[in-house]
Amino acid sequence: MHEASIAYELLNIAVNECHKNGYKSIDSIKVVVGRATGVMTDALLFAFNVLKKDTIAKNAKLIIEELPVRGVCKDCGKEFESNENYIIFECPNCGSFSVNLLSGKELNITEMEVS
Amino acid sequence: MKVKLTTKILDANDRIAEENKRMFKDAGVYVINLMSSPGAGKTSLLEKTISAIKDKVKVGVIEGDITGTNDAERIERLGVPVVQINTEGACHLDANMIAEAARELPLKDLDVLFIENVGNLVCPAEFKVGEDMKVMILSITEGDDKPLKYPLMFQESSVLLINKIDLKDLLDVNIEKIKKDAQFLNPKIKIFEISCKTGQGINEWTSWLLTNIS
Ligand SMILES: [Zn+2]
Repeated sequence: MHEASIAYELLNIAVNECHKNGYKSIDSIKVVVGRATGVMTDALLFAFNVLKKDTIAKNAKLIIEELPVRGVCKDCGKEFESNENYIIFECPNCGSFSVNLLSGKELNITEMEVS
Repeated sequence: MKVKLTTKILDANDRIAEENKRMFKDAGVYVINLMSSPGAGKTSLLEKTISAIKDKVKVGVIEGDITGTNDAERIERLGVPVVQINTEGACHLDANMIAEAARELPLKDLDVLFIENVGNLVCPAEFKVGEDMKVMILSITEGDDKPLKYPLMFQESSVLLINKIDLKDLLDVNIEKIKKDAQFLNPKIKIFEISCKTGQGINEWTSWLLTNIS
């Protein structure tokens, strides 16, 4: 699964940010993961813990905040929200697949605790 | 101390994908990202497609695989330039791998570049590589529940090739359901029923391809 690539990228970003600003170590990294990204948080955590070992993030905790899938139906106009992982983007109100995602595709680093 | 950030984790990949796109555009080459599950018939489809179009357009191939070079050797026999990427376990190709592989190809001499992605219905759809069009192959041996189980790839692809149509009488599979669900997920998706074994439907697909890449 692609969680390893994502863990690698996020470590890269965090470590580079520290080098730029002269921080010596990372205590925690906060990320938000939308549930429509297909990212399995357990796999992400596992990959992160393996990959962090030889970096200044070796003691860092990864804090994952999951965001629900939110969308608006183009057919009936209703907004909806789902906490299921990797759902089919189907309007729960009228069954239409013609939906606009408002959130759920996020994959961002939002905060680090550094020293 | 706390540091606030707002960094998209796949930004680096997306940026490189944009650079790739510019590089391909400057070279005048149309790029197709070919995706499927393992065993759906990507390499056979490429062989059939390349044989059908190589007298009309100049074709190059980037082969992505977890290990091995078998697929690249099959393509090389057709006399077109091919570069193999071994992802060493990774489940998809990313933009950086494509940037490196593309350097080994005579891009300026090519009209079309096929990128054969790693066999997997989830991950390749998440990573842009700088392609002009995504094409996916689903073989009917995989069953008719795939579109609703793996919606993203169907939503992102411009073309769905339903392969191994020669087996349809032997399998308990509803091809109309595959088409209906794929169109539900992506009303604009272009669908072809093909058989890489018998050649059925290959003509329709390659004619459509030639008119849509030129
Ligand atoms: Zn609706």
